[in-house]
Amino acid sequence: MPDALNPEDLDAEQRAALEELLFRLADDEYVHGERLIEWQIYAPTLESDLALANVAQDEFGHARLWYDLLEELSHTEAELIWERPADEFRHATLVELPFAEGDWADVVLRSYLYDAAERLRLDALVDTSYAPLADRVGKVLSEERYHLENAQSWLDRLAEGDSRDRVQDALDRLFPHALSLFVEPDHEDAIVDNGFRTMSTADLRIEWLETVIPYLESLGLDVPEPDEVERPSARGRDGTHTDHWDELAAEFRRTYEELEAPEPARIGGERV
Amino acid sequence: MSADDAPEATDATACGYTEYVDGEVPEGFPKTGVGAAGVEADIWDALYEIEDPEMPVSIVDLGLIYDVRVVEREGEDGEAKTLGIVEMTLTYTGCPARDYLENDVRCAILSAGVDEASVRLRFTPEWTVDMVTEAGREALREFGLGV
Repeated sequence: MPDALNPEDLDAEQRAALEELLFRLADDEYVHGERLIEWQIYAPTLESDLALANVAQDEFGHARLWYDLLEELSHTEAELIWERPADEFRHATLVELPFAEGDWADVVLRSYLYDAAERLRLDALVDTSYAPLADRVGKVLSEERYHLENAQSWLDRLAEGDSRDRVQDALDRLFPHALSLFVEPDHEDAIVDNGFRTMSTADLRIEWLETVIPYLESLGLDVPEPDEVERPSARGRDGTHTDHWDELAAEFRRTYEELEAPEPARIGGERV
Repeated sequence: MSADDAPEATDATACGYTEYVDGEVPEGFPKTGVGAAGVEADIWDALYEIEDPEMPVSIVDLGLIYDVRVVEREGEDGEAKTLGIVEMTLTYTGCPARDYLENDVRCAILSAGVDEASVRLRFTPEWTVDMVTEAGREALREFGLGV
């Protein structure tokens, strides 16, 4: 296994590879959180309103941890989130799509597909060679566990009776976008060779398919054949996105722009 | 009622989804500043004054502080500067009071008379409620929260 690496140890190639990995992690979590909170007041029970808000809060928390690591590599929060061109975000298109109107099945299924992938990706980072990342993965994994359980408990319920058709519709619509989670990074070889991630993207994809397909089929759903799915032209990972992303990016930045790049709040201020 | 009628103890826990129930305290945690001396001891004292934003308990007694140290380094003007470093964690990653806490800790470091302050977040080991000190447990019990 490669030696543990810190920011000052990285050469230019290692840094580029690590940044690609971190941008994917951070952008996925941030955008997934942004979409989830749209549903916060529409979930079907008060408990699920709270669960959804809580999951979104975790996703923002995790995004912040990953953006922190990019800040350690000399980026600023403004560059990373508020002023980065929309076509430089690297999240998968799955998390940027608006929810089909009024469709709880869409929320639940999307969360399941995403959280199952997130679990596997984090597992492959537990033994990362990049020390600042290794420090954070365990904590994030602990918090993610509940997300997957929550999504599965709802899927189990929705797959019974009439609502199964809605889940099937959501699956047909979202599965092609979920596959974009596993588009190989430009720096895949460097990511793996340097031990930043201990499993290849191709193997992660296989493991994810072997996880989600049997489970979804056990609920009576028809899962599209992965290699025969017509893939959307926007892949997300390479900076190409659906039109929905431009709209969402403009929305979440509006207040930042109106306030002309505010500093973070400080209760009490510097007291010394 | 006789002992035979007493309800059996159950192993039910309050909420299966909190991480607050189990968790082992890693060797050497919680850190409380015992044995610290000089400026480092002063920093510990100042940290004890900072309370969690939601509960009247110090962040040291909550077990959030992982390390305090003071090092010397050369400043930009070539003069030797003292740098106070605090490593700390958060109970959960989505903590909305993170900026406030970091700022409070930075102020606590500077109040001990060092030239510069650095606050570094660490998430290993993962914080659990078992890292709360005895004094912290007492403060939380008074607040109405048994841990």
